[in-house]
Parts: sequence; structure tokens; C-alpha cells
Amino acid sequence: MYQYNKVDQKIVDERVEQFRDQTRRFLAGELSEDEFLALRLMNGLYIQRQAPMLRVAIPYGLMSANQLRKLAHIARTFDKGYGHFTTRTNIQFNWPKLEEVPDILAELAQVQMHAIQTSGNCIRNTTTDHFAGITADEIEDPRPWCEIIRQWSTLHPEFAYLPRKFKIAVTGSSEDRAASQVHDIGLHLVTNEQDEIGFEVLVGGGLGRTPVIGKVIREFLPKHDLLSYLDAILRVYNLKGRRDNKYKARIKILVESMGIDAFRDLVEAEWQFTKDTELRLTDDEINRVKGFFQPHPYESLEAESPALIQQLQSDVDFKVWFTRNTRAHKVTGYRSVVVSLKPHLGAPGDITDLQMDIVADLADQYSFSEIRSTHDQNLVLGDVRQDDLYEVWKSLAEHNLARANINTLTDMIVCPGFDFCSLANAKTLNIADAINAEFDDLDYLYDLGDIQLNMSGCINACGHHHVGHIGILGVDKKGEDWYQITLGGSGREDASLGKVLGKAVAADEVPSVLRKLLETYVEQRTDEERFLDTVRRVGLDPFKEKVYAAAH
Amino acid sequence: MPLLIDRQLTENKWVLINPEEGQQASDLVAGVENLLIPYALMEEFAILNLDAMGPQRMGIQLNGDDDISDLATWLPQLSLIAIEFPIFRDGRGFSLARQIRRLGYQGELRAVGHFGRDQLGYLERCGFNAFDLADEKHSDDVFKAFDEISYHYQGAADDPRPIYRQEINTELS
Repeated sequence: MYQYNKVDQKIVDERVEQFRDQTRRFLAGELSEDEFLALRLMNGLYIQRQAPMLRVAIPYGLMSANQLRKLAHIARTFDKGYGHFTTRTNIQFNWPKLEEVPDILAELAQVQMHAIQTSGNCIRNTTTDHFAGITADEIEDPRPWCEIIRQWSTLHPEFAYLPRKFKIAVTGSSEDRAASQVHDIGLHLVTNEQDEIGFEVLVGGGLGRTPVIGKVIREFLPKHDLLSYLDAILRVYNLKGRRDNKYKARIKILVESMGIDAFRDLVEAEWQFTKDTELRLTDDEINRVKGFFQPHPYESLEAESPALIQQLQSDVDFKVWFTRNTRAHKVTGYRSVVVSLKPHLGAPGDITDLQMDIVADLADQYSFSEIRSTHDQNLVLGDVRQDDLYEVWKSLAEHNLARANINTLTDMIVCPGFDFCSLANAKTLNIADAINAEFDDLDYLYDLGDIQLNMSGCINACGHHHVGHIGILGVDKKGEDWYQITLGGSGREDASLGKVLGKAVAADEVPSVLRKLLETYVEQRTDEERFLDTVRRVGLDPFKEKVYAAAH
Repeated sequence: MPLLIDRQLTENKWVLINPEEGQQASDLVAGVENLLIPYALMEEFAILNLDAMGPQRMGIQLNGDDDISDLATWLPQLSLIAIEFPIFRDGRGFSLARQIRRLGYQGELRAVGHFGRDQLGYLERCGFNAFDLADEKHSDDVFKAFDEISYHYQGAADDPRPIYRQEINTELS
């Protein structure tokens, strides 16, 4: 993974001191609430319902064991012993003290981490495929490009006060595990007719109040032009994006209102000024960054592991975990392990300090000291020898990190909701618990197959409900929590936005309504048909009938 | 209002002339030596015989709502371009400054309106060299604001080279 040089370290160290001084001046009354708001948000610090919340960046979801141990230390020392992983693959601490945040940032800087631009109207953490570099069907590892974008976007002097937040995702495989089509910019590594590798560029995707699938602005962008083209898009957006209404300020609204062709013309015109300037990436720089993402020193292993075969035969719990929570690796004899942060009853994405230490130790022992955080709020040990899987599983299981539910109904994406977030209209964590309680039979979940359930506590859609196969949106009706259900969304390569099932349902009805939806699916599905495919084939009517007719 | 030019505290010599309805521009400019006018009124002022009336220097003030596609034609006549920040969070001025410097303008580029001490570093990097700071935002501390971060990943108006084209990157790596 990328290692800071002295420049990188100095920038982060100085940023800590800069923020320390801003905090001091705010507490001394020298800096207004309004200005400090913008400044602290740009450093990941919110003031939430209960307490401040600090969001720490995990660039493109990749961290070292030592970094994860540092996060555990912060959870233990400055917080209440846990953290929460987000869909931007970052981690949030819910209970820091405002005056201690500079000290937390200084601790983070010791392990090459920071909270820069994890919030605010600026360029946020760039995300990617959590199997980047280890999946067989990849054109190229997207992570060096994420790092190049990270550096370019970090403390960018021109793009720190954009109309609204700005999110970029990069993928290198035909499978989209980064929800790239619902990003402000989605970058897909592709090959052109001359066999050169470059980017397909999408712009104007996003969720929130007005969900939109991104549109292709450029089918092929030569890789050396990546930063100059991003620069052009950002400048056009910074100048033209709406600033009169925060709900219409994302780039998607600008692109929709002027049309993708007119927007493209503006970007191309702007790009002509910068494409052949110093912004053009050099081969030296591309190769320097790529050098940090070389394959690990893998062993030459047999495809079949007799030990593994024996363990799979003798331990059925291990076998179901192996089937659901591990994945093929591009190197023979290795597999990738998904560490489930979706326990039976517990906030999705939450992890304790002890669990962080355990995962860090496992990474050191079995997976080249690296951990990935995923867009769907789990962790990945990317490179585990097949022979070691049983030991890894035992340790994970002992610490409640091995629920064999990856990609099933209970592997939900859920925002923290009203319990923590001051934007939320409704609670989400109680609904997640109720769903877990209703669907505690893993065999039933396996029979249902892959289902992505996403839940948000308000229209801002941090839980990506629009792109869940099943989406749940919490709404406030006269002081009560109600839940609107959508079906048929996807954030993957076949991206689509879910359609509203019907009128919202009360909190205590959510599990039984889900039960009816799933029964309908089982009745309607053909062999091997996923829930999403059935919804797409038969439409919403059979589901509506089952849910709403039964009530009369 | 404290005015910083090239990081030095300076006296403001410019007068913004913005005629209200019923006022004649020609009446207002008489005797003004350093005339700052809203960009939207540029055409109107251009037809006045300003030389005869006295201004020695002319500047314009604009903001994110102005279309600056014709600005290049006026540049040779301008000694000051002031960019207005309507609110602290309105970042259009940063991009306007980049575009104006890109046109080759080398005169004074001044930030006016609602911006703060903690934006000075970024503003300077985008091409501003003058800052009309609100009284309550000025203190001796503002001079420190420019150099809080020693290195920059991005090229900008001050130095067009991104980190990967700066010598420092190889020296320190």
C-alpha cells in the first residue's frame, strides 16, 4: 500500500496544527460559528445529536494493521470503545470531545492517517472496489489511480468551497462494487481499440433527495489526462453549480438541467486550457505510485488444499461461512475473507476496539498486514492462504465477526439514523434489529440468495436506499417513524433506482412486510433467479398485492 | 478595512463607484484617481471620456454571477480586479481568480466581501495578491495564515507544477 514520503507526512502534520489553531481560536471566540462550521466539516468534524462526531479517512478503503490498531486505540482512549464504518469506507467516532479532536488527529498522523475532507463541500474520500488488485477480472488495479486522485484533491486550494460535496469512485473490473454510477464522478478503467488503458468517465450520478444514475461524459480518457480532465469538470461545477438551494447544489442537478451534451461542451472548452499543461501526469509519477501496489509475495500453492477439504467436511459451520464469507482470489491457493460487521443484533458497520485489534492481528498473521473496508460496511482480509482459513474463521467467530451472512438479507447497509445523526428523521438501528430478529434462520436467508437491503434514516440517503434491491427510507409522520419501501434498485454495474412499493408502513410492520415481499419472491422466482431479477421481470404489482391486500 | 497587498498592510486608494438609479456615472467619477467600477457597468463607463475626467487608474469588481467571457478585451486597461465573495462558503471566486490569471492578467487581484483568515492561503494560491479583510477578521495573526502548509500537491496560480513536477518531491522522498 502507499507509504507517505516526507512531503506527505509534513502536509498531514501541518494540517493537524492548523486545525488545532482553528479549534483554539473557535473556543476562544475569535472564529465565528459559521466559519468554524465550514472549517471543521472539511476536517470531518460534525456536531451531532449526542456529541461531536469525527469521521476519519480511510483512503479507498485500504489500511494497514498498524493503522487499524491506532483506530482501536482512539476508540478506547477518546471514545466509548467502538467505531462505525461508513459507505465511503471511512470510520466514524461518535463520542469525541471537541477540544480533544486535535490530539486525535495528531495520533492519526503518527500512522499516516487523517480526517481531511471527510465532510464538507469539497472533494471527499475516493472509493474503489474492495477486491481491487486481487480479483481475476481486472483490467488494472484502480488503487494507484485513487492515490493519485487523493493527492490531487487533498487541500486543493480551488475546490474547497464547492456548491456541495463531491464524491469520486474508481473501478477496474467489469463488476462494480463501488457504486460508481451513483457518484458525482465515476471512473471505469477501460481498454480502447488500440489496446490502451484509460478511463470511461461518468458524471452527475448521486443519491440524496434526487437520485440520478451518472451519464457518460467521455468514453475514453487517456490516463495521463486524468487530473486535467477532473480539474476541468470541477472548475465548471464550481462556477456553474447552484448555490441558492443545498438540495439542488450537487453536480447531478447541473448536468440534468443543462443536459449532458451542453455540460460536456463546457468541460471540453475548459479542458483545452489545461490538458497539455503541468497537470498532465508523468510516466514517472504513475510508475512511482503503482510501485506501492505491487502484488504481495505470494507463495506458490496447490489449487486444492487437503486440509481445507477435510475441515469443510468436518465442520458445517465453517463450511457455510466459507461459502458465504470467502471469495476466490486471483492467485491460486489464496482466498479473500469478508469480515462480517453485521452481527445478529448489533448496529451494522459497528466494530469494537477489541474487534479492531483482533482483525489487525489476523491481518498481520495471515494477510500481509492489510485490511480493506467495504462500501457495504464490512471488512476484508484480502489475501489469506486456503490452509489458514480455518484458523482465521475460529478467531473471527470467537469475536462475533463471522456471521455467515455476506450478501444476504441481513448484510444490510444502514446509516446510524436518528439515534446518532442530527439530520435523520427516523431511527434505523431498531429496524435493523427487528429485521435480524425476524430473519434469524440462516438457512432461510441462504435459500433467498443474494439480496441487498439498504436503509436510510432520512432523504439524504447515506444508507443508499435507492440502490438497494430492497430499500427502506425512514420518514417522520407527525412525530412517528414510518418507513417507505422501494424495490428493484442496484448500485452495481446494472445500476438502477428502486421504485416505491406503496404507502409507508409503521415501524413495527417492517419485518412482516419484508416477510411478505420475500414470500412473493419465492412464489414468483424461476430457478436461480435473484430477488432483483424477479422484481425486474414481474414488476412491483405482485409485491404490492401481497403487502397491501392482506391488510384489508 | 485593513488591506493586505502582497502580504503587507497597505492603505486602500481605490473608490468603488456604483451609480444608483438617477445618478450619472460622469458626476461620480470626477476627481477620482483610482476608479473601481462594477464589471456589469464596464460598457457604460467605457463610453465616458474618463481620461479627460481624471481617473489615473481603472479597476473592476466582479462576482460569480458575472459572465467574464469578454473580460480579456478589457484587461490592458485594468490595474485592479476585485472579486467579491458574497458569503464565506461561496467558492466561485477561487475559480474566477484561476481563470483571470490564466488570461495573463498580472495586476492586483483583490478579494473583497465575506472571506476569512483561514481562506487566505488558498486564495493566494489561486492568484489573489490583495485582501480587503473585514476589521473583525484582522489581527497580526493573519500573516501566519499564508504559510501554515509548506507543501502543495497541486499546481496553482503561484506555481503551476503539481507535486510530481516539483524537485522537492524527489529530494524528500
